[in-house]
Amino acid sequence: MRTLLAALLAALLAAFFAATPARGAEPPVVAAASDLRFAVEEVAAGFERERGSRVRVTLGSSGNFRHQIAAGAPFEIFMSADEEYVAALHKEGRTLDGGVLYAIGRIVLFAPHGSAVTPDADMASLAAAVREGRVDRIAIANPEHAPYGRAAREALQRRGLWEALKGRLVLGENVSQAAQFASSGGAQAGLFAYSLALSPAVAQRGRYVLLPDTLHAPLRQRMALLAGAGPIAREFYAYLQQPAARAIFRRHGFALPGE
Amino acid sequence: MDGPALLLSLRLAAWTLVVLLPLAIVVSRWLAWSRFRGKAWVEGALALPLVLPPTVLGYYLLVSFGAGSPLGDGYRALTGHPLAFSFEGLVLASVIFNIPFAVQPAQRAFESIPADVRHAAACCGLGRLETFVRIELPLAWPGIVSAIVLTFAHTLGEFGVVLMVGGSIPGETRTVAISIYDRVQAMDSAGAGMMSLVLLVITLAAMGVVHATARKPHV
Amino acid sequence: MFEGLEALIRQRTPVSLEAELRCMPGEVLALTGPSGSGKTSLLRAVAGLSRTDGMITCGGERWRDSDAGIFLPVRRRRVGFVFQDYALFPHLSAIANVAIAIDGGTRGERVRRAGELLERMNLAGLEDRRPAQLSGGQKQRVAVARALARDPHVLLLDEPFSAVDRATRERLYVELATLRRELRMPVVLVTHDLDEAAMLSDRMTLLHRGRTIQTGTAEELRTRPITSEVAGLVGLRNVYAARVAAHRDGATWVEWNGVTLQARPQAAFPAGASVRIAVPPAFVVMHRRDRPSRGEHENPLAGVVKDALALGENTAVRFSTPGGEVIRFSIPTHVARRNQVAAGAAASVSFLADGIHLMPS
Repeated sequence: MRTLLAALLAALLAAFFAATPARGAEPPVVAAASDLRFAVEEVAAGFERERGSRVRVTLGSSGNFRHQIAAGAPFEIFMSADEEYVAALHKEGRTLDGGVLYAIGRIVLFAPHGSAVTPDADMASLAAAVREGRVDRIAIANPEHAPYGRAAREALQRRGLWEALKGRLVLGENVSQAAQFASSGGAQAGLFAYSLALSPAVAQRGRYVLLPDTLHAPLRQRMALLAGAGPIAREFYAYLQQPAARAIFRRHGFALPGE
Repeated sequence: MDGPALLLSLRLAAWTLVVLLPLAIVVSRWLAWSRFRGKAWVEGALALPLVLPPTVLGYYLLVSFGAGSPLGDGYRALTGHPLAFSFEGLVLASVIFNIPFAVQPAQRAFESIPADVRHAAACCGLGRLETFVRIELPLAWPGIVSAIVLTFAHTLGEFGVVLMVGGSIPGETRTVAISIYDRVQAMDSAGAGMMSLVLLVITLAAMGVVHATARKPHV
Repeated sequence: MFEGLEALIRQRTPVSLEAELRCMPGEVLALTGPSGSGKTSLLRAVAGLSRTDGMITCGGERWRDSDAGIFLPVRRRRVGFVFQDYALFPHLSAIANVAIAIDGGTRGERVRRAGELLERMNLAGLEDRRPAQLSGGQKQRVAVARALARDPHVLLLDEPFSAVDRATRERLYVELATLRRELRMPVVLVTHDLDEAAMLSDRMTLLHRGRTIQTGTAEELRTRPITSEVAGLVGLRNVYAARVAAHRDGATWVEWNGVTLQARPQAAFPAGASVRIAVPPAFVVMHRRDRPSRGEHENPLAGVVKDALALGENTAVRFSTPGGEVIRFSIPTHVARRNQVAAGAAASVSFLADGIHLMPS
């Protein structure tokens, strides 16, 4: 009993005295939309390898980041999945400039192995499965604040499936949670970013089809340096626009602006 | 396994205790032994974090820490960096959402000390501080250990509030609970499983300590 | 200035108190009265555990003077207080419980002195026990040792015998009676038990509804209560309405129940006044058939035995006069048996003139 308490106390003290790194010496934080999960980590690794500097990446929904940045979150780069958020922050003086378009996103229809849904581009199988009541749950990101959720909603509306599906949606807090819901088999289908479907962790768990970009407004992904960005952040921002980084985005299923 | 996140959580828990424990002891002792109008309301308010959804608490904290709030702006003017999305902000939030976990066990412990035992201390010539150190503290000790352990464990586990006011910045506000959530989204079940196990073991050990000390030591 | 303890307390809330208390150094004063009469409140006021209006002095020191705004905190009053449930510190050993109250000296000196006190209370060998490992009587003795450890200017005991069984209590009575001979400070003992008060104290103060109503020796209270209320509180039940007839021949004469009784001279009550008379059972003599006893000529009364209840060595008798008044007294059981004292038997008794006590009506 006493030794247990002593051990707890020792752990406490160790944690307590663990050095707090000096502010500013820490690598800058990049707030990136969730669809970039695998792509941006690869770019950051390349950046560290080539330039010897590190950035910290935090992933989430673009809408949430937009509000956190407005509330003063100490991010230095914002990589949004929707250019509107960057525009809004620019208007509020939170960004250094209007930013640049770095990628155009696409969405897929994904069905895990064993699902009643067979992914096809016009979503006929999904429509049939819905009609026959073989689909309980379909995962998308929350359209309220996640751009990929909005694109998914538009696609379902275009195909006339939105009303029928509305009661069966599971909403991910961001697009990567939507992908996780669908690929884990918790939902029979999901609409989410192509970039996530391409990752082995998702791809091996089901089948997917890339949906035509005519089904939704283009997901114009814009990034910007935020007020107070330091030299490393500026360097990374430039690196993101270099051919090496662009190649990574392309490999992860993004269309690139100007191509 | 996200080592920095675990270390950060431990540091957060330690700082929370350093700030909260003295406050909790003072407040719980006062609540235990005084009667006044509106006491039930004070106790109710202090218990709020227990029943309030973490998102509601997180929302209010974010609003009061953020840019444009007196607290947030004041802190920024003093230190040059924002309170929200910083480790200090996280400590403050953690102190607030842990209030009931620290105050309630300590209050129960102080309440269980008979008034005559305190009177006897005064009759023995002990001053306030001496009475507190030599009589009250040893007698309330099991409750205070409970308060320490519950606060510690709860800090490691808290998710909603930390995510809302902290913003998941690696090494600064990404605690182990958020890191687990992040690993799940990254479909890294090995990492998530490992960290969950670590958290489970720590929490289990903590509860063991609580129950071992809860046994009355003087009987 | 008065050397002992003196308290003059007057307050309305939270408990109404109107009390006067005096206790000399070396004297044991019992504070007695029915439960809820304010005994404990008064004791706590003396200790400083509650703040009351009035004046409290002890050993020439002013502890409380509400007019002058003086209130000496408990820890500076040098009181030894033995609580009803002893209130020992449960996490400390017996010796530490006592040592903590000793001030001055090195740690070693304090422990040695605490050991001496425990030994004096017959607790040698139990120094390292925690309170939970002690019997009720042992706890009480630790509590007394702790109370004495400060060399208190007054020793206050709050119902110190209520939490132990009867056999232990008898033993503790003897111990306290022995101990008190060595004590040089005023000792105030709160108890609701009149026999206990009579046995252990020099004088007692009777408290009722927060008011101190009579102070005196146990004998005085039992035989000369100042009011019929006091008579009731001390359990004196032979109280009757009467009228003062005259003061003559060195005695006071009262008319009661159609007869004239000779009483101890009590000139304070004028002839013709309505009074209450109290006749303590010890002053009621039953006339024996076998042999006449002393005092039979004093106030003889004929009547019948209403009932007789044998309570071990003594028999409680209720005797009824022709007028229907009931007189209570007790006689040795063997006497009752020999004289065939039983319900319905005709008998006669005498009120000894010395014992008839007059009280205002």
